[in-house]
Amino acid sequence: MGLLTGLKDSISRVTDRLFTDDQPKRIGIYGPPNAGKTTLANRIARDWTGDAVGTESHVPHETRRARRKEDVEIERDGQSVSIDIVDTPGVTTKVDYEEFTDEMEEDDAIRRSREATEGVAEAMHWLREDVDGVIYVLDSAEDPITQVNTMLIGIIESRDLPVLIFANKIDLDEASVKRIEDAFPQHKTVPLSAKEGQNMDEVYDNIAEYFG
Amino acid sequence: MPHQCTNCGHTFPDGSKEMLSGCPDCGGNKFQFTPDSDSESSAEDGADGDAGPETPPPTSDPSDEGADGVASRAAETVRGWVSSDSSDESTHDPAESPAADRPTTSAGSSDRDGTNSRSGETADASRDANSSRNSRSPSTRSGDRSRAATDRDDDSFTEWPDSARRPEDRSSSPAESATDDAADDRAVSEPSTSDRRTDSSSDGSSERSELDHETVTMADSEDSAQATARSEVVPADDLPAGSSAAGEGDPITEVDPVDDEPEETPDHGRVVSEPSGEQPSIEELRAELNEQFESIKILRPGQYELNLMELYNRDEYIISLQEDGRYVIDVPESWHDDVDE
Repeated sequence: MGLLTGLKDSISRVTDRLFTDDQPKRIGIYGPPNAGKTTLANRIARDWTGDAVGTESHVPHETRRARRKEDVEIERDGQSVSIDIVDTPGVTTKVDYEEFTDEMEEDDAIRRSREATEGVAEAMHWLREDVDGVIYVLDSAEDPITQVNTMLIGIIESRDLPVLIFANKIDLDEASVKRIEDAFPQHKTVPLSAKEGQNMDEVYDNIAEYFG
Repeated sequence: MPHQCTNCGHTFPDGSKEMLSGCPDCGGNKFQFTPDSDSESSAEDGADGDAGPETPPPTSDPSDEGADGVASRAAETVRGWVSSDSSDESTHDPAESPAADRPTTSAGSSDRDGTNSRSGETADASRDANSSRNSRSPSTRSGDRSRAATDRDDDSFTEWPDSARRPEDRSSSPAESATDDAADDRAVSEPSTSDRRTDSSSDGSSERSELDHETVTMADSEDSAQATARSEVVPADDLPAGSSAAGEGDPITEVDPVDDEPEETPDHGRVVSEPSGEQPSIEELRAELNEQFESIKILRPGQYELNLMELYNRDEYIISLQEDGRYVIDVPESWHDDVDE
């Protein structure tokens, strides 16, 4: 029996090393458009690597291609966790260029819309094959119970991926973390403001715990 | 060879699944639908011309043109659907030119329009008969008219009826169109020609055969139409018996093939069911679309509906259907390359 246990231990050590050292886990940052995914990705990347991941914008669908930041080393309690961060385009069931026509020319709005659609397809594809864990970002000032959120969380659950729900934008007056906690009580919800850098310690603690 | 890689020109037969993973030759992922390796406009025609018989189950396609593959059907379906949708809303999409809009507005009823265009000629012929009092003279006029329509159509797609007819011409023997003009000499042979045309491109559906009936009906009424026209100048006794009732209104409703609307066609008693098939067809097309373009619906350029579950489940996505029947199939592998850069 001791032999078997020893074997088990060595196997788990090997797999541990596989995940922690050789292959950092790839963590997808998912969520609806304008939840603050890129802001969060940039915050994490800047805090631990000094680089940014992508351009942030108040206009939805600024991120239309998945962007990856590799080997982000997060140190917690003397231990180091290495992850790849994938910032994905906001997932939605409808893309309409008329949402952007206030901000840009119509041709650009249509192109943005088409690219955003491709981006959603890409994000869904990544979710199927290329992520080992998910950070699901929600705008705490918005109603979390939407078709997209429910469906995505469902897909993530069906894949047994570790998932953290980030209740972003707690700096806003209308923010309600409880609304998000109540909507998805089965998952850990972490309040934060990626823009203001609020509560980032807890964010990193949880990332290290869930994805380390 | 309906599908062609826009990069290397590799062609794929209808129903080919090869291209779903990119062009095997050059790896390109942009294709266009060309039922005939003709001009751009004929590709347009082909797509639209097929959109009409789309409503009946495509499985019963006996003709070569009817051996539609999923992708081609879907492409046509989307064209038809998108346009009928936009015409429903009477929208104002600036990205979609009026020229592109026009043919697709009647995409769901191309065959009827095609038929009507012929009967339009018929009506025209009868008017000519009226003016010239010579039953032979309309032939030249209507021939001219159809040629004129062809010219107009080459410029743009505004003259829908002619473009509706051309795919049928293509699918039948090339001599057919020549026959068409020649056949106009005799009032009786024109309908039989059009009848044959309808048959040759037929998808074997019941609706099609109804169309045949319609053509025959119109053919019959051609005499009556002429008779009606002639009645203004000829004593009623000289007119063929029973023609007056059927002939009534024909010249009026059929005169302008461009403007004819479904609700006008029912002037022919036997045709009533035909336009009615078009209204629910939007729903049918939507269902068909859901089946074939499950992952992304293109309402019109810049407006999309996404089926997240299908996007999640499927390997390949037909991302964008573009103008002129072109569409881009994005293969996930190509994303990997870009992303991994």
